[in-house]
Amino acid sequence: MKTSRKIIGTLAIPCIVTAILLILCAIGGKSMIANRTGFNYFVQYTAIVMITTMALSVNLNSGRFDFSLGSMAVLSSVLAAKVTQQLLHGGTGSAIAMLVFGILFGAILGLASGALYVSLKIPPIITSLGVTLIYEGVTFTVTSGKYVMDEVRNPSMTAFAGNWYFPAILIVVVLALMIYLFDHTRFGYDYKALQSGQKVAVNTGIREVPNALLCYVICGALMGLVGFLNAARSSNINGGALNFGSIGIMFTAFLPMFIGGYIGRFSNDKLGYFLAAVCMSMLNSTFAAFSNEISASMQSIINAVLLVVFLIYLNNEGLLKKLFKPIKA
Amino acid sequence: MESNQIVKRYKTRQRIIDVLPFFALVLLFGLFCAVVQAKGYRLDMYLRIIFNEGIVLAVVATGAVFIYSLGSFDISLGASTLFSATLGVMTYNATQSLPLMILVIFGVAIGCSLLSSVLASVFHIPVFVTTVAMMSVLSAIAAQIITTNGGALGGISIPSEVVAPLDNMGFKIAVLAAFWLICFFVFNYTKIGRREKFLGGNPVCAKLSGIKINTYAIIAFVMAGIGVGLGAFLTLVYTPSVTASTASSIGMNIVVAIVFGGMPISGGPRSRIYSALVGGFSYILLNNILKLIVDSGVGYGVSQIVAAVCFLAVVYVTGINYRSKQLPR
Repeated sequence: MKTSRKIIGTLAIPCIVTAILLILCAIGGKSMIANRTGFNYFVQYTAIVMITTMALSVNLNSGRFDFSLGSMAVLSSVLAAKVTQQLLHGGTGSAIAMLVFGILFGAILGLASGALYVSLKIPPIITSLGVTLIYEGVTFTVTSGKYVMDEVRNPSMTAFAGNWYFPAILIVVVLALMIYLFDHTRFGYDYKALQSGQKVAVNTGIREVPNALLCYVICGALMGLVGFLNAARSSNINGGALNFGSIGIMFTAFLPMFIGGYIGRFSNDKLGYFLAAVCMSMLNSTFAAFSNEISASMQSIINAVLLVVFLIYLNNEGLLKKLFKPIKA
Repeated sequence: MESNQIVKRYKTRQRIIDVLPFFALVLLFGLFCAVVQAKGYRLDMYLRIIFNEGIVLAVVATGAVFIYSLGSFDISLGASTLFSATLGVMTYNATQSLPLMILVIFGVAIGCSLLSSVLASVFHIPVFVTTVAMMSVLSAIAAQIITTNGGALGGISIPSEVVAPLDNMGFKIAVLAAFWLICFFVFNYTKIGRREKFLGGNPVCAKLSGIKINTYAIIAFVMAGIGVGLGAFLTLVYTPSVTASTASSIGMNIVVAIVFGGMPISGGPRSRIYSALVGGFSYILLNNILKLIVDSGVGYGVSQIVAAVCFLAVVYVTGINYRSKQLPR
């Protein structure tokens, strides 16, 4: 593929989305990002969507559907907030400590989920249903079903939430790490081999169990990060979600995952997830600008319709190309 | 000689596995009665609660077995139930006609299912993603209607005397029995059921045998739509009001119920129509037993953890005959 085609393919969707949203904002007399706070939210939301999308794609691309992502994010952030509060009492460095603990607890929860999957050898979708119920139950028990607020409301967390460069640094670090891990290490090569031909890969000696376990650990660590970012953004954690109430977190990642996968054809899928997250964040900022005109229900509908329309295009690309191909004389 | 023993052992195991869901249901029923008696509560009242909770789940899940037997997955059925019930209530309040309300409920439920199946089969969108999008759209529209017409908390309702004559065990058992028998017949004694199981077990082979995948996918979704319609109607008969959280957990509980009833999530020839009925009531019984035993607010978390562990244990035991060298996907 020519370099120019690669560049155009990579940047086409983000540019088109930016243009459409800017025109809509101009017509409505609104500004997509009105001030510094708006920009902080924009970068934070980009980080949340990008990391959730990467976490979702790690297992989903290997045919392992994981419902427990949301519950992992919530439980790891609750545990991290409680431990940080015990150690630092909301003092200096609380945000960094909670971030580290969040990643650590997330990785442990991911490992537990993966260990359950590889030891029981039952379909991952089923394991994840059980794990979701367990993690939600633990969260509810730890928090007594209440919001966790005191532990995440301190000057350190406020400073983190009020500066766009902290989430920007996280975006860069996560993106670089994920590209390195999945594209430049033996783990990544094995992952791709198992992804494209599980039976052949196993028969050639690739060890599937450690690879799957590491995928779950990465997934958990990423969701720990998402849990932390969500806590910093909203200044609280909902500890009362039961009966699959936490799975909504992952649904925001479906559209960016498919858009990112499409962009990835021209460059790199992780870069695609980042660009798709930027698009989603711009859309979210536009919704915020038009919050008086577009209700939360309408936003959900628009997001779902966009997902369906994009998937219709994606899954019928060949047919559409044939339909619009100029007829030769 | 040795292979005969292996076959014999396999068959014995399989027989035990087949009986296990029924055994679990009887055991849970006995345990439930014992716990209610020990607590000194009225058994007849609690049995009525179990029946009313269980019947909606069992009816919707019975219809959903047709989708799951194809190896597909639908998490929008709860949102469909809510949407159908919402439009049913709106219709009654506008026309004061019960037959028209019933007609609208079934029309909407089947229409939503058909839309999902068309998107999945005609536009080749992955079924799961279609149902995620449908779930978002349907619950958002229903929430919008409910909030606009009755308030988020109070919801919308029909006069209780309209459905009061139908709110009795006899009518509900008759509805459940009729629907279940129809599904049982279609699933086990017609080519629809046989072909759906074939498609779920080996879609490539089924396609090469000349079976039209789209046709059977649409039939499966229509059957599920009828189940959703019945579920929405029975929900209104039991509680003649609809709020944004009505039937919210049904979508995921169906998966748990079907698996609890001994059916594999991958569908195929091991799909059983009774799984939904047996699993649905077992799951409701288990949840209520745990709620009674752990009788406090925080206890909800603990009871969910215990329910999840039981769920995983049941799945592990029922799948013991089908372990492969590779990790399942």
